Parts: sequence; structure tokens; C-alpha cells
Amino acid sequence: MRTLSYLLRESWVNMRTNRTTTMVAILTTAFTLACVGIFLLLYVNLRAAAGWLQDDIKIMVYLDDRLASDSVVEVEQNLRGDRAVTSLLFISKEQALGEFKAQFPSESHLLDGLGQNPLPASFVVALSPSFRSPDAVKRWAERVRQVAGVSKVDYNQDWIDALAMVIRSIELVAIGIGVILSAAAVTIIANTIRLTLFARRDEIAILRLIGATTSFIRIPYLLEGAVLGALGSALSLVMLKFMYELFRQQMRTTGRFAGLDNLMSFFPPSVCLALIAVGMGLGFAGSFVSIRRFGEAKA
Amino acid sequence: MWTMIQLIHVSKQYDQRPALSDVTLEIDKGEFVLLMGPSGAGKSTLLRMLIGAERPDEGQIFVHQKNVTMLKPSDIPYLRRKVGTVFQDFRLLPKKSVFDNVALPLLVQGISSADIRRKVTEALRAVGVEHKRDQLPAGLSTGEQQRVCIARAIVNGPVVLLADEPTGNLDPALTAEIIELFKLINARGTTVVVATHDPLVMAQVNRRVLTLSQGRLLPEQRVLV
Repeated sequence: MRTLSYLLRESWVNMRTNRTTTMVAILTTAFTLACVGIFLLLYVNLRAAAGWLQDDIKIMVYLDDRLASDSVVEVEQNLRGDRAVTSLLFISKEQALGEFKAQFPSESHLLDGLGQNPLPASFVVALSPSFRSPDAVKRWAERVRQVAGVSKVDYNQDWIDALAMVIRSIELVAIGIGVILSAAAVTIIANTIRLTLFARRDEIAILRLIGATTSFIRIPYLLEGAVLGALGSALSLVMLKFMYELFRQQMRTTGRFAGLDNLMSFFPPSVCLALIAVGMGLGFAGSFVSIRRFGEAKA
Repeated sequence: MWTMIQLIHVSKQYDQRPALSDVTLEIDKGEFVLLMGPSGAGKSTLLRMLIGAERPDEGQIFVHQKNVTMLKPSDIPYLRRKVGTVFQDFRLLPKKSVFDNVALPLLVQGISSADIRRKVTEALRAVGVEHKRDQLPAGLSTGEQQRVCIARAIVNGPVVLLADEPTGNLDPALTAEIIELFKLINARGTTVVVATHDPLVMAQVNRRVLTLSQGRLLPEQRVLV
């Protein structure tokens, strides 16, 4: 217990002794992680937006014109029994014609000339989220095309593909920038710990001579790195939240993208805690790198 | 009487310059030995080898029946807990009180707070600086600082006490006091090895003397008490 309190106290003393270096390390780590955070926040929000857009993707299942009403019920039951389908809306030939006329009133005379309603009855299908990937939609459509009474399955493949590509690109950029800036944060903390190690090399030498184990010597510096990382990460979240609120307020006052500000969201508390833990991990890694290189920090 | 320290044909070079050449010696349990020789004779190298801070290029070293040359790096701290070390420059932590400095070897072993208090108080009492326990090293005289350094070295109850030029920074009166302290520690059964180039120390100790010259051990002079 006393050993633990000693190790914690030493970490605190390290940070207090090198106050300027500690502050600089926390601030630079915070700015670096805030940059990562901006991309992460952008990614999270765009992904959510993409999710809403994907919710709007409807698949049209057109029925054969000669299909009897019993068979329509069969197709409907078939679709309702499909676990990929979340909602189903039947549009009869008459409803389709009515909608066409409502949407294109100036073109409605074209259909009048045909004598009979050429528009087929259809089902408007929405798929569950796990079946909304481009491949899943494609597979589902191909399967439903084989169902007796179905003449055509239509959906906007290009739109789904483009959306998936945008999400993938943002994901890649976020990962790339995250990795680079995380490495920068590790380097910043590693350098801070290296300075501390150098400043306390005499003390480390004494500890070695009186029989301190390598872990006893290293733990205060590892803790210091972890605390620097966690504080840097927490500060970056404060900075991000401030910028986020400022941005939302700007959107509201300028009136641009009206209503979009309500759709935006900040990281939930669990993600904030996870990000602080990540900062802690980066700090720990930074310390570890420095300690490994600083040969004197072992028994 | 069994052997506490044994060196068998130990040699060490730094940049092609011999620091120790074919040194063979034995020190029994409970002995008080002076390691004499001018600066650069190899005294410090020999002491550092006894605590595993240096490895010989050739030869074997045994301390308390452990082959130091064969110890894994992770075992060296446990050897050092049995060997107290005293330095010419004291090597006290300037921002820690006398008590905390002396407590350090016990802290690294995870000893309980109550035992630490008891052992540190005993060690400080033994070297006569108990009343300075809350002071920082900077507030102590050089003699007191050396006493604190000795208290830190004996607080563990080591089997061997190594002192590297412990009186190098002290005047003759303080030197005599410190030597008396070593004799007291030795009288309690601890093997004491003091490396010095000070003939005054030799005169005061009046015990077995090992002399190193340019890394070689010279024929021994044994002084009877």
C-alpha cells in the first residue's frame, strides 16, 4: 500500500516539478487529439446522416399485370415472411395511376390515349439495416426477382453504391488521420517523459543501487504518461465540445442549413470515456517508448 | 567462517585499458576489509562488480554464495537488497527528507509502513541522526549527510556493506567518526568493505588491507587487531 502511494506520489511530483513541460505536453496532446476528434466527429455525424439517407432507400417490387388477386396476397405473404423486410406498402394499379397523374399532371393525357392503365401494381419495400449494404440489397433483389408473380425489382443501385463509397472514404480518411496524429501524440508524450527521465537520472541511478526492480523504477513514468494522455484527451474533448456548440450556434444564427443543427450530435458519454481511455493508452505507449530507449530506467 | 565475497581470476577492460587484471580474492563473513589504492586502481570497478553494476570480461564473482556473473538482470535488484552501498558523494535525494531517503530501500521491497517506521528509526538512531529525520539533506552537515547515507545502506540489515571512498569529502575528525560507525556495523556481523586511498583510514581501521594498483591485486598485508 505504501509502495503504491509512493509510486502515485512520485508521478504527481514528476508532473509538478516539470510543470511547464507537463502543461505543454497536455496542451499539444490536446490540440493533436482535437484534430483527430474533428474528423471522428465528422465521420460519426456523416455516418449517421448516411444511415438516415439509407433509411429512405425504397425498393420497388413490380407485380405481373396478369396476376390474380390471390397471387398478390401470396407475394405479399412471401415478402412479409422475409426477415430482411421491415416495411411493406402495396400500391395498386389505380393508386399508381393516381400518383402519376398527381406528380405529372401535364403528362397525364399520354396515359389517357392508351385506353387502359399501363402502370403495374407494386410493393414498396424497406429493408432492415443489416440488409442495406449494396451487396445485400443486390442479393435480396435477385432473390425476389425469382418469386412467381414478380415482374421486376427496381432500386437505385448507383445511389446506394455512391453512399457506401462516401462512408468508406470518410472512414479511411478518419483512420489515416487518426493513426498519424495518434503517433504524433505518442511522440509528444514520449519526449516529455524523456525530459523527466533525464532530469531525474541521478535519482534513478540511486534507486537502481538500492535494489529497486525495473518495474518499480518505471511505474511512476508510465503513470505520468498515462495521466498526460488522459488529461490531453479530456481537454481535447472540452475543446471539441466548445467548437461543436459554436458551430451549431453559427448555423442557427446565419440560418444556413436550417434544421441540420438538430440532426448533429456530439459523442455520447460512453464514447467520451473511451476517447479518454485511448488518450491514456497513447500516453502509456509514449512513456513506454521513452523508458525502453532510456537504458538507465531499468535495474 | 564461510566466504562472503569471492573473486576468481576477474578481469575487466575499458576501451582496451585494463581496469582489473586477473584479480582473485576471498573475504570471509564478518570481515572488515580495506580496499586501498590510488585513483584509477580499479577499486570502484571492483565494488561495482560486487553489486552487478558491471560485468567482468573474464572470471567469476560470488557474493553471499550467489554467482553474480551468472545472475539474470531481473535478479540483480534482489542481490542489491542484501548489499548496502555508501558513496563519497552520499547520493541522497535532495527533495526527500532524511526519513524518506533512509526508507527508500524498504519501500522498493514493499515493506509495511509500521516496519518501515521502526527500521528507519533504528537505522537513524544507530548512526546518530535520529533528531534530523524530518530535515532535507541540504540542511545537514557533510558528516550528517554521510551518516544518513550509511543509515540508508544498513536499514535493510544487509549482509555486506560496501563503501566507496566514504570519507573522501570529510575532515579527519569526521573521518574518524565514520570509521567508528563502520566498525560498529561490522561488530554486529555485517561484512564491511571500504575502498579508500586515504592512509588515515588505514591507520584507524587497522584490519586486513587489499591493495590494488593499476588493476592488479598486490600481495596482502594482514594487520592483526
